[in-house]
Amino acid sequence: MISLRADRRDVVAGARAMVPWLAGLVPFGLVIGVSAAQADIPALAGWLTGPLIYSGSAQAATIGMLDAGAAPAVVVASALIINIRLIFYSATVARHWQGTPWWWRLVASYLIVDPSVAVGLSGYRRLSRDRAHAYYLGGAVLLWVCWLAAIGVGATVGAGLPAALHLEFVMPLYLVGQTIPKLADPAQRRAIFAAAAAALLALAAPLQLGIALAIAVGVTAGLTAEVRR
Amino acid sequence: MNTWLVIVAAGLGSYLFRLGMIILTGRITMPPYLERASGLVVPAAFAALAAAGVAAACTGLGVTQAAAPLAAVAAAVIAVLRTGSSQAAILAGMPVLWVATALLSN
Repeated sequence: MISLRADRRDVVAGARAMVPWLAGLVPFGLVIGVSAAQADIPALAGWLTGPLIYSGSAQAATIGMLDAGAAPAVVVASALIINIRLIFYSATVARHWQGTPWWWRLVASYLIVDPSVAVGLSGYRRLSRDRAHAYYLGGAVLLWVCWLAAIGVGATVGAGLPAALHLEFVMPLYLVGQTIPKLADPAQRRAIFAAAAAALLALAAPLQLGIALAIAVGVTAGLTAEVRR
Repeated sequence: MNTWLVIVAAGLGSYLFRLGMIILTGRITMPPYLERASGLVVPAAFAALAAAGVAAACTGLGVTQAAAPLAAVAAAVIAVLRTGSSQAAILAGMPVLWVATALLSN
């Protein structure tokens, strides 16, 4: 049974567990909003990547590649390659959701993304299944609301600021900031350097295929590092 | 396919990824190498997008002016290494970009 009324405290506890994640994610949402405002796409389309794709990395790639004029199929393929990890998250929570009503699975799976799964699993480890459902939903819905609000604020603010501020450079800097700490892991380091090099070498690739190609090169390079270990 | 359709298609595909294993649970198992690969996709994508973004910022600029975005990236890298905070990249990088762009365009 899924009864949120009875589990209001668990909903609040799940939302509270999400708060530390928001400190890192709200700035990312703002950056995505700003980059959407600077990109050569309709403002609403940029914001819609939030509720539709609902994954920061895939949204950043989609907006960046649409702005660069990439071929539609290449953009969709790149976004989906980045989101392949969602299949694993889906597999991780699936056993906890067996026997739940369809409406719950449809809604709860829509909210699957890195932080919501992390918070949700911490609930499933400690609480009864019914209580953990409420805990997951509390964290996941708070994340969803804050994420869409952050993109909206970023897009609104970003559209009103002068071009001289070069806000289009906020996203590359943000990505650099996220990448540096990952260099500590050998496989990720190899993936990062290989992907960056491939992206630069493939700048002139037709249809903006460079990003998709660079991701494939980076992942392959990272996997070879894991095999050697 | 226009911008809207691209976003809807990417969104629909992403939702199917999310829902897929919930529906197929117990019926298929994912190969372990694919799970390892999925952990490397986001770092690779971030690196590729960052490199392409920096290159795009330098494109069309003279050799001297292109030093501004590169100086901003250098400042961002140093700031993240020194503070251990990813957020420091923007806080350090953007002011360096503005100052370097102003100095180099004169």
